[in-house]
Amino acid sequence: MSLIRELFGKSPFGPLVEHARKVHECVKLVRPLMEACVREDWEAIHRLQDTVTKLEYEADVVKHEIRDHLPRRYFLPVSRPDLDRYLHCQDNIADAAQDFAVVLLIRRTKIHPALVQGFLDFVDQVVLVSETLMGAATELEALAETSFGGAEAESVLKKISGLGEGEWKADRMQRKLSQHIYSLEKELDPITVIFYEKFLQTLSALANAAENTGDMLRTMIVKG
Amino acid sequence: MEWLVTGGAVAVCLYMAWTIGANDVANSMGAPVGAGCITVKQAILIAAIFEFAGSVLVGTDVTDTIRKSIVEPTALAGRPEVLCLGMACALLASALWLHVATFLGMPVSTTHSIVGAVAGFGVVAAGVHSVHWGRMGEIVASWFISPVAGLALGYLIFKFILRSVLTKAQPLPAAVRMTPFIVLLTTLVVALATIYDGLKNLIRKESPLAAYLTGGRAVVVSVIIALAAAALSWLLMRRYARKGGKLSIPEQLRWVERVFVPLAVMAACSVSFAHGANDVANAVGPLAAVLDILKSGKVVPQVIVPFWILALGGLGIVLGLATYGYTVMRTIGKEITEITPSRAMAASIAAAATVLACTRLGLPVSTSHCVVGAVLGIGLARGLGAVNRRVTRNIFGSWLATVPAAAGMAMLLFVLGHHLGLDALLKQLMPAVP
Repeated sequence: MSLIRELFGKSPFGPLVEHARKVHECVKLVRPLMEACVREDWEAIHRLQDTVTKLEYEADVVKHEIRDHLPRRYFLPVSRPDLDRYLHCQDNIADAAQDFAVVLLIRRTKIHPALVQGFLDFVDQVVLVSETLMGAATELEALAETSFGGAEAESVLKKISGLGEGEWKADRMQRKLSQHIYSLEKELDPITVIFYEKFLQTLSALANAAENTGDMLRTMIVKG
Repeated sequence: MEWLVTGGAVAVCLYMAWTIGANDVANSMGAPVGAGCITVKQAILIAAIFEFAGSVLVGTDVTDTIRKSIVEPTALAGRPEVLCLGMACALLASALWLHVATFLGMPVSTTHSIVGAVAGFGVVAAGVHSVHWGRMGEIVASWFISPVAGLALGYLIFKFILRSVLTKAQPLPAAVRMTPFIVLLTTLVVALATIYDGLKNLIRKESPLAAYLTGGRAVVVSVIIALAAAALSWLLMRRYARKGGKLSIPEQLRWVERVFVPLAVMAACSVSFAHGANDVANAVGPLAAVLDILKSGKVVPQVIVPFWILALGGLGIVLGLATYGYTVMRTIGKEITEITPSRAMAASIAAAATVLACTRLGLPVSTSHCVVGAVLGIGLARGLGAVNRRVTRNIFGSWLATVPAAAGMAMLLFVLGHHLGLDALLKQLMPAVP
């Protein structure tokens, strides 16, 4: 065994970017899912849910690869707990997308015509938050190249600075949509209302997870 | 009969050089191969040329009769045949140990092996007191110091590259601007080690004043060569400077790595050169001593190394590379994919500088360990995705095992050879000395 061969562990940053891409593929299906629900196209929901589950599983495989290849004896350019937490948060995004698909799948919930635009706008805002994060997360390799410092780090920090505001906007839209739903409570059956709530919860969990991932990314950069 | 002895010594020397080529070279060239700067074939070619150049130019025209004066030569002045047999045994023992260790998968160093073997033979042949334990301590201390020095240099050089290139708002133009400085630094280290030492060898008999003047002149010549190389690199790299600007930072960073490829290749050449300077002498020095004693029947503190013996060392290394080192290198190229040219360059420059400095000071150190130290230094500067810190334990483990093992093997071979009457046989072959 040559010394030099033992010296290099597998860098986690390439796979982290791969994980981010898989997660974002899940998130990209949220809007088509919502549209299918509006169209009451249950077959499409079934198909899309399958795809999300498959992508989420693939993301999990990457996640486990990253964890398995990083025994404690390796030292990394970022703190190990921070990296673990980052990966965990990023994974939560895919989980939330999958939860949303499942909620759509388990009950044929129809969207009240007055609520359609509100739901679609909310979905768009949530996906936008995740997109903002992905724009930064896919630069992890470039960040590692610059040792998490300098102009590259600045540009990533700038990208994620919009996350908080995006998440805050999503929260506000969620509140408004909630109010809107309860203003129609006379016209809706209670179980439909319960499921609307579930839609809102899973979607806001997605935006929250994206914001948290951004926070962890910031922590990794700033700690250096 | 005499031909048999000479042939045997030559074979052992070739064997030792073979183990160096098979094992050690892959470590010193692993980083640039892993970074994809050079292919395995190119690495073999570079190693063949620069190992040879290093051994001929810096290595030795003159070698200590007993490797690095670990054993007092006067203790064996009246018994040249014992010294002759001893050096042959030491050479064979260290080559055997290297082979066994390679087979067992232990990371070992040629240098540590030969130092241990020579000390082992010294204890048996001339007694515990004939071994210069102070000198031995110095050498062992250098094994601690050299990876640490490599680490510090690796850290500093990488931090310098980070600050001056990678963290800039425009990394590509910054890389092009820095190229001549990096070339200047590397060439200066190599040129200084070569010219300074080479010229000093030529005027060994002159007065100290002449040595001083030549040294000063050597510095001037080195600076001129380094400046010329830097200017040339600037001319070659200029075309990349305009590429920046419009590109995003991550795109520019990818270009920066491309700009660093030739620099990493140059640095790899310098490591190979340093390795040749430091390690080839391990194989050819004892052979030169054996043949010199055999011819003259006298023990002198230093002997001339004929050119053909140096060439033999070079040949052995190339053979080792071609037969076994090639496979090791290919595995490294496939397995280490997590290093980029900028890192390979920083590690190589740091390692080459450390090895050449230690060679100048007469300290035999392990090139592999300097490379490992440099890579760890870059890891410490947050430059690598994941670095295995357990390797440091293996480094210390390797020489803790190597020195006693090689020493024991040399003792065993020497006692065996003595019982077989090989030293008496050698005495018959030597010319009578009044």
